[in-house]
Amino acid sequence: MNPNPEHQSTRRDFLKTTGAAAAALGFPTIIPASALGQGDKPAPSNRIVMGGIGLGNMGSGDLGNFLNNPLVQYVAVCEVRGNVLNERKNQVDGKNGNKDCKAYVDFRELLAREDIDAVHIATPDHWHAIQIIEACRAGKDVFCQKPETRTLREGKLVVEAARRYGRVVSGGSQRVLEDYRKLVNPCWSGELGPIKSINVAVGPLSQQCNLPPENCPADMNWEMWLGPAPWAPYNSKRCDGNFGTGGGSWRSYSDYSGGGMTDWGAHHFGGATFAVDVRELQPAEVTLNDEGGKKWISFKYPNGIELTHNRPGRGNMQVEGTPGEKREAKKIPEYAAKGGIGADFLECVKTRGKPFRDIELAVNTVVVCHLGIIAYTLGRSLKWDAAKQQFTGDDEANRFIDQARREPWQL
Amino acid sequence: MSEQLDKAIEALKTYDWGIDPNVIRPIDEAIITTHADAAARKDLETRLIAVLKTEAPQAAKGAVCRALKTIGTAAAVPALAPLLADEKLSHMARFALERIPAPDVGQALCNALPKVAAKLKIGIITSLGARREATAVAPLQALLADSDPAIAAAAAHALGDIRSLEAAKALVVAKPGAGTKDAIADASMACAETLLTAGNKGAAKATYEKVLASTPSKAAKDAATRGLQACAK
Repeated sequence: MNPNPEHQSTRRDFLKTTGAAAAALGFPTIIPASALGQGDKPAPSNRIVMGGIGLGNMGSGDLGNFLNNPLVQYVAVCEVRGNVLNERKNQVDGKNGNKDCKAYVDFRELLAREDIDAVHIATPDHWHAIQIIEACRAGKDVFCQKPETRTLREGKLVVEAARRYGRVVSGGSQRVLEDYRKLVNPCWSGELGPIKSINVAVGPLSQQCNLPPENCPADMNWEMWLGPAPWAPYNSKRCDGNFGTGGGSWRSYSDYSGGGMTDWGAHHFGGATFAVDVRELQPAEVTLNDEGGKKWISFKYPNGIELTHNRPGRGNMQVEGTPGEKREAKKIPEYAAKGGIGADFLECVKTRGKPFRDIELAVNTVVVCHLGIIAYTLGRSLKWDAAKQQFTGDDEANRFIDQARREPWQL
Repeated sequence: MSEQLDKAIEALKTYDWGIDPNVIRPIDEAIITTHADAAARKDLETRLIAVLKTEAPQAAKGAVCRALKTIGTAAAVPALAPLLADEKLSHMARFALERIPAPDVGQALCNALPKVAAKLKIGIITSLGARREATAVAPLQALLADSDPAIAAAAAHALGDIRSLEAAKALVVAKPGAGTKDAIADASMACAETLLTAGNKGAAKATYEKVLASTPSKAAKDAATRGLQACAK
C-alpha cells in the first residue's frame, strides 16, 4: 500500500501497461503470484514501501520484523558500516528473490526516493531527531527506535515536524504496552484506587568518552557515524552497538546517549507513565533528594501524580495506589493491529491514525529521562514549564535544553 | 577540592585523546559546587578561558568548551570567537557559545560569518537559529541568496528557528531556487505556525500561500494546504 495516490496509480499503470505490451507482442502474460498478492500478502502496489536507516543491533531486528510483514515491500537499506550494509542488502534480496534492494551510506539519498513510503530508524541516539525530521520533510512515515531524542529541544521539533507534514511517526518501545500488563491492568481498572506514585529503578547516566584513537576500518564511514556529535577519533568501543551502558558502547557515552537513564529508561519510564496514565503530560517539578548520600528524584506531574527514580525502599515499577478508594475503570489503549508495535505502526500508515507510541507520547517519556539527567548533573531540583519548554528560574539549566550540532548538521 | 581543581586545570595542558577523563572531573564537580558562589565561578571561568589561549590539545580545548557551555559568560566570548574559524574547534566553540545567554555571542557569531569556510558557516548559521538571534535576521536574509544552496538552505532553516515576524517576512520575499525551495517552505511554515498560534491569521495565510506558489515538493505542498485549512478555521 502506498498512501500516496500518485504512487499507486503509477505502479498499477505499470502492471497494466506491461501486461498489455506483452499481449501485443504475443507473449503469454505470466504475472507471478507474488506480484498479484497471495493469501494475506497484498499485491506490491498495495504494500507499504519501506527502507531502513541504521541496521545494527536494534535496526537488524526491526528490519527482520518489517521485511517479513506481508504488508511491506522492503526496497532500501542504509548503514555506515560497509560489512553490515552488505549483509542487510543480501538479507533483503534473499527475501525478495531479486537483487533490487538499494544500499546507501547516506540516509539523505534514501529519503530522496519518491517511491518509499516509510522508514524505520535505529541509528545511535544522537542521530534520531535529525533523521526523523528529514524523513517527515521528505514525506515519509517513521518508526524510530527509542529514545527518540537526545535533547529536550529535539522533542519539540520532532513533534512539530510530524504534525506539520501529517506523518505517522511512532516511537519504538515495544515494552511500554507489552511488558507491563500486570501493572497496567490494575491501574486502569481502578483496582488500585487513585494512583499516588510509581517508582522506576534504572541507570546509570552516560559519561564523557575520551578513548584513544584506533585505525578506522576501511569500510566504516566515521564522519557519517559521528554526524552531529563532537568530532572524536575512531575507537571501536566508542561506536559499539552492544546494549551495555557501563563503558565500551556508544550507549555509555554522553555525546551519543543518555546511558541507561534514556536507554532502559525509555522503556521503564514509558511503562510507568502509561500505567499511571500521565503519558500525555510532562512533569512540572523535578526534586533531587539525598538520603544518606543516596540521590533519587521525584518528578511531580501537574495532576499531582508522583513518578520517582531510584527511590530508596521502592522497587522498579512499584505503584502506590489508594486501596479501598473507588476510581472508575478506563479503557486501556491498545495497538491498532495484532503483531506488536511494528504492526501497529503499519496499520496506522494505512489508516493515517495515531500509533500507540505516537511521537508526542514517546517524547513525553524521553523528556522525563532528560529532566532527570539534567537534575542529577547539576545536583539540584528544577521546575519545568512544559508549555514554554524551558526551566523556570534557572538560566543555567536552560543551557542543557540543547547542544550545538557539528556542521553541517542542523535540525 | 581546590587542590583537586588545580590538578585538573593543570592536566588540561596535556589532556589528549586516550587520557582518563577522571583527571579533569574535578572541573565538573566545581561547576556544581560553585553554583551559588559568584566569585568562585568567575575564577573558574577565568582559568578555563586561559586554557583556550594556550597550545593545549584539541581534546583539552573541547573539554573547556563543554564546561563553558554551562558556566560561560560574556567574558568567555573573546576567547571563543576566534575558534569559530578553526576547522577543528569551530563546533566546540559553538558548543559553548550557542548556550551562553549573552548578547555579545550573537554579535560574535554574525561577525564570524563572512570570515569562515562554507561548512563552518553553516554551523554558525545553525547556532544563530538555535539561539533565535533576532539581530541575525538581516544577515541571514542576505544568505538566502547565497550561491551555495547548502548555505542558503541553512539560512532558511535558521530563520525558521527564529520564527519572528521579521524572519517570516524575510522568507516570504525570498526567491526559492531548486536547492532551497523546500528549506524555505519548511522554515516559512514553522513561522506560519507561530503566527497562527499568536492569532495573526492574515500573515500565516499569506505565508502558506507563498509556499504553495513556490511549487514545492509534494510533502511541503500537502503541509501548506493543511496550514491554509487551519487558517480558515
